[in-house]
Amino acid sequence: MRRTLDAIEQGKNSVTSEILFDNICLNFGKRKLFVDVTLKLRGGKIIGITGANGVGKSTLLKLAGRIIKPDGGAVTLPINATIAAVSPEMKIYDGLTAVENLKFFAKLRGKSLGADEIISLGERVGLDTKTFGDTCAENFSTGMRQRLKFMILLSVDADIWLLDEPTANLDDDGRQKFFVQMQAAKHDKIILLATNDSAEVDICDEVIRLPIG
Amino acid sequence: MNKLLIVMTLAIIGAVIFLVPPVKGMGEVAKIIFFHVPTAWVAVIAFFTGAFYAAKFLRTQDFSFDTLSARAAQIGFVFVLLSTISGAVFSKLTWGAYWNWDIRQTSIFILILIYGAYLTLRIAVNDEKIRAKVSAVYSLLSVLTVPFLVFILPRMYFSLHPAPVVNSSGKIEMDSIILIVLLAAVVDATLIFVKLLRR
Amino acid sequence: MKLSACRLAEQIAAILRKDFLIGIRRRATFAAMMFFALTTVACLSLSMGGVSLAPNFSAALLWLVIFFAACAGISGTFDDEANSGTLTTLKLYADIQAILFGKMIYVFLSLIMLAIFIVPIFVILFDVDVTSGGVLIATIFLGLIGLSAAGTLTAAITVSATVKGGLFSILLFPITLPIFLPAIALTETALTGTGFDADLLIVMTIFDAILITASSILFDYLD
Repeated sequence: MRRTLDAIEQGKNSVTSEILFDNICLNFGKRKLFVDVTLKLRGGKIIGITGANGVGKSTLLKLAGRIIKPDGGAVTLPINATIAAVSPEMKIYDGLTAVENLKFFAKLRGKSLGADEIISLGERVGLDTKTFGDTCAENFSTGMRQRLKFMILLSVDADIWLLDEPTANLDDDGRQKFFVQMQAAKHDKIILLATNDSAEVDICDEVIRLPIG
Repeated sequence: MNKLLIVMTLAIIGAVIFLVPPVKGMGEVAKIIFFHVPTAWVAVIAFFTGAFYAAKFLRTQDFSFDTLSARAAQIGFVFVLLSTISGAVFSKLTWGAYWNWDIRQTSIFILILIYGAYLTLRIAVNDEKIRAKVSAVYSLLSVLTVPFLVFILPRMYFSLHPAPVVNSSGKIEMDSIILIVLLAAVVDATLIFVKLLRR
Repeated sequence: MKLSACRLAEQIAAILRKDFLIGIRRRATFAAMMFFALTTVACLSLSMGGVSLAPNFSAALLWLVIFFAACAGISGTFDDEANSGTLTTLKLYADIQAILFGKMIYVFLSLIMLAIFIVPIFVILFDVDVTSGGVLIATIFLGLIGLSAAGTLTAAITVSATVKGGLFSILLFPITLPIFLPAIALTETALTGTGFDADLLIVMTIFDAILITASSILFDYLD
């Protein structure tokens, strides 16, 4: 079981705006998920990652986000790159209000958000912060939480976006708003989008299909 | 190596039974000391060996070091139990009580607790990678307590335990035959430990 | 991602603030710790029928109560976040050392509150005479620092364990013995007013420093 996904040579040839997976090996118990996977992902566009369930889409994002470490090989990120993510596995704090969640994560990245910024962020994702800003996140619907996660994503302004089925629980309005934000932001970022949703695949500039086995 | 160890062990047992003179007023059972000292020694070196391999595992992420660290703890646990029981028997013979929270009894009891905690942790974590990581971290954390306990315990507990083989003035207060057999037993036990570790 | 000391302090403060906000809204853990301590003290006092104890016995009991109440209160330091799925998010957005020290300081402050709550009750119910209050306060302060450092790392160690309740105290007890033994001896001298051994305070201070340093180094490997 050995596979290599060829490097995709497009865009600017600068080392600073790419994620390099170099001979990645990863096992879960006895199951070998990745064997010598080499992959180069360039920034400036939305890169879709598709493939059957259990093929390792989310795992690839976690490797890029340094949430899990490979058993072999190395993941190289641009120097000093900051990472933000929207993923079903990355929850926000139920015990904090929407605004507290937002301010907390922004603060971790050294940003202090003003009231105006919060309102404008809310408008960009379609979450009315005047009404729901002081509501604890535990009272939010799945879709509202997802919008709050987008607000956090937009507020920290990271260089790398790791998105795992980001619009799965959103209505059409939410989806459109999010797609607009992604298109607007993609030029100076590396955006990885793991999905099998056709609407999400459509907005990708490039799609990598992970093979089975 | 195996045969040599068996011969050596049998020779030492023979020496203890026939060669070593009976201890005055304590009878043959007091010879359990030739079992107690070597097992206690192995229990202690197994503890440090485990921590050594734990550190090596964390540095290299090589899982064979995790296996060695775990095995050292398993062997150490068995030896610490044997040593505690034989020590209690000796204690009963010499001071009339199985247990009295003497410094060394306290130390060895703490060692039992640490080994027990470490081995329980290993059973309680299912994921191999996480198990190796957390048990290595715990092993190193527990080894840090040793120098402190060595300093604290003598201040808090009164000791009845015989002085170490070589006492503070540098004199050896033992018959040479007893000393030789005892040292041979310690070497033998160490070799058994190495053998079990590298099996 | 290496952070400057200033940014690290900012992250630690943010995490601490967040834990306090959630801790105050979700009082369950905190209340459980306090009432666990109260129940234990009441239980001991009731079963002895209000007999006043020898100082060495009172000192040992006090630390026993603190240890087990602390176990009840801090074993879930990382479990709560791991179970609710926020630990992954936190690890992505914050430096790993900031997470450790944010949690450690939070644990320390909760234990200080535990001590402020339970020590006076203990003194009243067991009719203990405190001869040297300064020694008692210094001992509790130093003891709780070490307990927080060791407890936070142990909470991180047990986060993936299948058995939770007992395991935490089994793991924590042996590594905090170099704190408890001097703490009990010092508490005894604080009650009797005699036999004060300053070396034991120094030992506790050094061991606290070593536990904090070791937690910081070892926590990187747990990531």
